[in-house]
Amino acid sequence: MVLVVLRRLGVFATTVIVASVVTFLMLSILPGDAARIALGVQATEADVAAQATAMGLDRPAIVRYLDWFGHVLIGEFGTSTVSRQAIGPEITDALGITVILVLTSVVLALLFAIPFGILTAVRQRKPDGAILSGISQIGVAVPGFLAGMLLVTVFAVTLRWLPAGGWVDPGNDFGGFLEHLILPAIALGSVQGAVLSRYVRSSVLEVMREDFIRTARAKGLGAGRALFRHGLRNAAVPVMTVLGLQIATLLVGAVVIERVFSIPGLGSLLLDKVALRDLPAVQGIVLVLVVFVLLLNFLVDLAFTLIDPRLRSVS
Amino acid sequence: MRAHTQRSMFASMAAVMVAFVALVGCSDGSSTNEADADTSLTVGLLATPGNLDYTTTAGAAIPQALLYNVYEGLVKLDNDGAIIPLLAESWTVSDDGLVYDFLLHEGVTFSDGSPFTAESVKFSLERVKDNWTANGPAYLDPIASIEAVSDTEARITLSKPSNSWLFNMSGPVGTMFTESGLADLATAPVGTGPYTVSSFKTGDSLVLAANADYWGEAPYMTDVTLRYFTDATAQTNALLSGDINLVAGISQFQLVDQFKSNTDFQVLEGASTGEVTLSMNNVSDAFSDVRVRQAVMYAIDRQAVMDTANSGYGLLIGSMVPPTDPWYDESLADLYPYDPDQATELLAEAGVSDLTVAFKIPNLPYAVAAAQVVKDQLAKVGITADVTALEFPAVWLDEVFSNHDYDMSLIMHSEPRDVTVFAAPTYYAGYDSPSVMAKFAEADAADPTSYIDMMKEVTTTMAEEAAANWLYLQPAISLADADLIGVPKNTPSLALDLSTIAR
Repeated sequence: MVLVVLRRLGVFATTVIVASVVTFLMLSILPGDAARIALGVQATEADVAAQATAMGLDRPAIVRYLDWFGHVLIGEFGTSTVSRQAIGPEITDALGITVILVLTSVVLALLFAIPFGILTAVRQRKPDGAILSGISQIGVAVPGFLAGMLLVTVFAVTLRWLPAGGWVDPGNDFGGFLEHLILPAIALGSVQGAVLSRYVRSSVLEVMREDFIRTARAKGLGAGRALFRHGLRNAAVPVMTVLGLQIATLLVGAVVIERVFSIPGLGSLLLDKVALRDLPAVQGIVLVLVVFVLLLNFLVDLAFTLIDPRLRSVS
Repeated sequence: MRAHTQRSMFASMAAVMVAFVALVGCSDGSSTNEADADTSLTVGLLATPGNLDYTTTAGAAIPQALLYNVYEGLVKLDNDGAIIPLLAESWTVSDDGLVYDFLLHEGVTFSDGSPFTAESVKFSLERVKDNWTANGPAYLDPIASIEAVSDTEARITLSKPSNSWLFNMSGPVGTMFTESGLADLATAPVGTGPYTVSSFKTGDSLVLAANADYWGEAPYMTDVTLRYFTDATAQTNALLSGDINLVAGISQFQLVDQFKSNTDFQVLEGASTGEVTLSMNNVSDAFSDVRVRQAVMYAIDRQAVMDTANSGYGLLIGSMVPPTDPWYDESLADLYPYDPDQATELLAEAGVSDLTVAFKIPNLPYAVAAAQVVKDQLAKVGITADVTALEFPAVWLDEVFSNHDYDMSLIMHSEPRDVTVFAAPTYYAGYDSPSVMAKFAEADAADPTSYIDMMKEVTTTMAEEAAANWLYLQPAISLADADLIGVPKNTPSLALDLSTIAR
């Protein structure tokens, strides 16, 4: 057990270091000068050089990196070169928004995908099953931003039931928060739901061909009971894997939906900071992402052991 | 155990469903906004300020939000571009044009309670030279000395007469600060304006509240939220859905027409100071010959570029002067009519054939659209333009603006009266005319009437020498709820003056 924890920590530390070095190198190679961006087109080259010194950009790359990393080790993310605010709170604010958005959309996706996937699997050879399966195929093909734009056009612009975008902090105005959450969560969740329902379907189909289902049927259980009693738990394992990957991708991937709905989430923050060459902020965001993805993988592994007792002895 | 798990699963599913029913149920009429809807205004804008300190951070976004709203100077520009009094009640200028005596309003306080006096004028303007790094601290170079004669009298002496100085005082560099309000310029600005900043979240919103102790007439709108969008469609959708009341300065003009036929909204068309400029690197091998630059002038059908890139919105200008400047000359728009034959002839005269140019543009929608038309038109006269869209701002600033590593570019120059900046030989256009620079200096020191004549003359020279191809003036188009009045139509300065807006 101790060994497992140590191994995980080792993987974690290595990933963090590699990711931060790669981010740092890439942003160093990328053309663009944070000092010039800050001062704009009216400043002289001398002003820009002075600004670069003030921002610490004239120090050797290795010194800048070690400086940053040293501060991270003592829990300091530093100050954004653009907003001149502490980076930590900027990231946690944006992360909070994205996590709420992603988790809500995942719940919606599951609420749709599980019944829908099972239904299409069970009714595989029936005409309605084929139609439902076709619908989910269309869902997979529709990009999230298009779904978002359609939702905005119908529910915000035409019907004026819900806001077209923006974000309200749940602590300030919970009703407003829900109003602002619903459309982007549906937009994000619908595509995931469609993808997940395909996995649920194929997973259920696979399980239904397993020996233990045949045994259960032979014992006298009906197809539905056999599936619910013995099948679903087994079918859940591959679906969980996909779900974990989806959530990890969405932390940044939600940016497309965030842009459509003008939501200041983590992906948007990352894009803005890269555009402004705000190196300390980009580094901080990447670090948080790495931590989050690793944490997520850990949770997925944990979920496996809960769903499938056979996996407990393996780990 | 199993039964328990299933039950709790059903329970959580039911809870989620209840939550969603509740959510849909409360979706209408649950606006918990406590502010009076009549005096609240939400404005949709595109460029977000990275912070709120325009003394050290460039870009139009910060002055757009803060100038005249939170910060004030001695003078301001009205919507037609005229200089009018603000914190100065009046002023006199000595006959030699060197001494400005400003009479200041009495009883003005900063939002932190400290008084505004002539000492504040001295403090603020003297601070510019050493502490400002952005927004043109050099604009105040003509100042020789600042004297606080009494609390309400400030005397500013110039080292040489300057016509542009007072105009520039209406911009960011003329802002009045108090020493006690400098602690956190990036997030907590302290000014004398009709509004104060109540919250700021970069990339999202800036909330302004009416300044209860404002010295002047209180603004109609007591709560103003500036919301920042990255996407022009999201911005107009927000207006259509009622999330915002005003889109100040739409950037994608194909989105405008849907509002013209909708009586819930009004479309305000005015003039900006944004010249969409096809720049030619005057010191590059391709464009050092004036005849080649003139060939480009004749080769481009500017109306066609405007029709494609701007859905026809805009104004053909032909020089770097918008109509809100006193030396605007509308005849310059016809200086180079579309004439590909003339272009071919000029190229032959210059001995140029098979010219290929590096056309490096910023990856902004208007630039990408316009560049495509320009490329096609250049091809018709035998010029091949290799279009590269560079990430803006980072890479474009680096390659084109700082390193001058380009032949041709296309970008909007939005600062007011930036033609003198453009003419500087060190500027990215590489236009180097000592006589033009001398004439600008002479004009600046001349009497006000000759100033206008001389400015007209020198900007005409720049157009004749094809320093750049000023394709068209970007229109200032605002979209607003039909019941809004007093929305500024033109944008003669960087500021979005909220104080005139009412219902």
